[in-house]
Amino acid sequence: MSSPINKKTLEHLAELARIELTEKEQGKFLKELESVLGYFEELKTVDTSKVLPLSGGTSSLNIFREDSERENTNQGQGKKDFPSDEKGFLKVPPVF
Amino acid sequence: MTIPLRELTIKKVQEGLLKGEFKALELVQAFFEHIQTRDPEIRAFLSLDQEGAAREAEAVDLKIAGNEPLSPLAGIPFAVKDNILIKGLPATAASKILEDYVASYDSFVIQKLKGQNAIFLGKTNMDEFAMGASTENSAYGATKNPHDLERVPGGSSGGSAAAVAAHMAVAALGSDTGGSIRQPAAFTGTVGLKTTYGSVSRSGLIALASSLDQIGPIAKSAEDAAIIFNAIRGKDPLDATSTDGNYGEELLNPNFEKMKGLKVGLPKEYFEGGLAPEIQSGIELALRKVKSLGLKTQEISLPHSKYGVSTYYIILPAEASANLARFDGVRYGSPKTEKTLRDLYFETRGHGFGPEPKRRIILGTFVLSSGYYDAYYEKAQRVRALIKNDFEQAFKDVDVILAPVTPTTAFKFGENSDPLSMYLADIFTIPANLAGIPALSLPVDKNFKGLPVGFQIIGRAFKEADILGLGQFYERLTA
Repeated sequence: MSSPINKKTLEHLAELARIELTEKEQGKFLKELESVLGYFEELKTVDTSKVLPLSGGTSSLNIFREDSERENTNQGQGKKDFPSDEKGFLKVPPVF
Repeated sequence: MTIPLRELTIKKVQEGLLKGEFKALELVQAFFEHIQTRDPEIRAFLSLDQEGAAREAEAVDLKIAGNEPLSPLAGIPFAVKDNILIKGLPATAASKILEDYVASYDSFVIQKLKGQNAIFLGKTNMDEFAMGASTENSAYGATKNPHDLERVPGGSSGGSAAAVAAHMAVAALGSDTGGSIRQPAAFTGTVGLKTTYGSVSRSGLIALASSLDQIGPIAKSAEDAAIIFNAIRGKDPLDATSTDGNYGEELLNPNFEKMKGLKVGLPKEYFEGGLAPEIQSGIELALRKVKSLGLKTQEISLPHSKYGVSTYYIILPAEASANLARFDGVRYGSPKTEKTLRDLYFETRGHGFGPEPKRRIILGTFVLSSGYYDAYYEKAQRVRALIKNDFEQAFKDVDVILAPVTPTTAFKFGENSDPLSMYLADIFTIPANLAGIPALSLPVDKNFKGLPVGFQIIGRAFKEADILGLGQFYERLTA
């Protein structure tokens, strides 16, 4: 069967994922993704009608934390890792 | 005096320190000297922290001089995978996008180890964002297998495993999402523990796939792995999936008489061809040894494990595509442009990520996209439930499961250059991650000359005591 990912869908996915891809990368990924998706076809043969999707590694439910004030939020340290800031705010290039 | 670095285990280090055979500072210096001669060819470390290690070693020496009690890991030199945060040290996850990132806090496991006065020698190489099984995907060059420099050390925790195997650290921390601790342990002749999902906090681990990731030890022996696991486990308010579990005395002091009563399951699907001859004979040897200890075995079936690779390579990219969204040049990553915010995202991510993260982000975006979600992501979640059910059924009849870790021994650089063939290297390790259960990778024979062969002991959730205890029992045979 033909791969569900063609050049156009790949461009759309790269757009959604905010990743710049070169022409060369596009060609390579198309081929590789086709082979990986082809491998996934085996799952179609598995009867999953009697199970519910398992979303996580834990069976714990409703884990809450104390709703209390936290003094140390490490904000100052974290801010240092931002490329640029001004008056305690993050600085980013214009949106438009 | 020369400290015999290759002989050192956790207990031997502490004995040496307490008997005054060497000081912690001398030990650390000896390790750095060895690293300086050996690591240029192995390339296990991405960065070293000589100053911090010396400072912590002096603190341990002061405690000893003052006759203060020592924690079980005091003075133990560790290597730490570069996706685990240590405050003030680089944490690149072997990606260019985090080239300049310095951790602003300690991960939970590091806080725990610091509380015991453990020493951190440096951060180790890995596949970029833990995506790979060979360390060839590191943006900073591959690590080599200390047993054969033409071969990979496995991955993604290849640097940590190589550091321990080449005696450049007594023990190491790695992370295991689909085999990333166990497979490199098997390739390098070390011991690796994938911990039960939720037993060790993921806070401060650079996330790959949050429903699968677990931190664990790579060590010289099952006993060392048990000591480290006991030190780093436990509930952390910053990881809602973490829990204390119900671990008793036997985690550190296994009762070998009781171990004889464990029933060992042999999953027939894991032995049905596809194993390289060295692995086949290695597994048979491990099985004979386990039987010679007095344990009973029983054939079991895990019929859905064969779908593990497909299931995993849908779920993992889906989660990774969300987790790696934060590397956008604003919150993390070096910005590449001053034009618009949109350009900044595209350029930073386009240039900062290597091929494998890009491939998996695209794949993850695809399986989550409208029109394909049900056919891929939801389908994979359902198969995941079947894989987990298989283990639950099996554990009604048996206590532990014995299996291969890898289909082959360490392969040569470039041998698995096609992504799908690399994905298949994880075929025996992935099911434990999907099921959230613990598994120990152990060398079949420590004294074996040639490429190491490992085997796996898989246990019930939160029953690390069973697999680590059996591991220690097994090691007594080869000691």
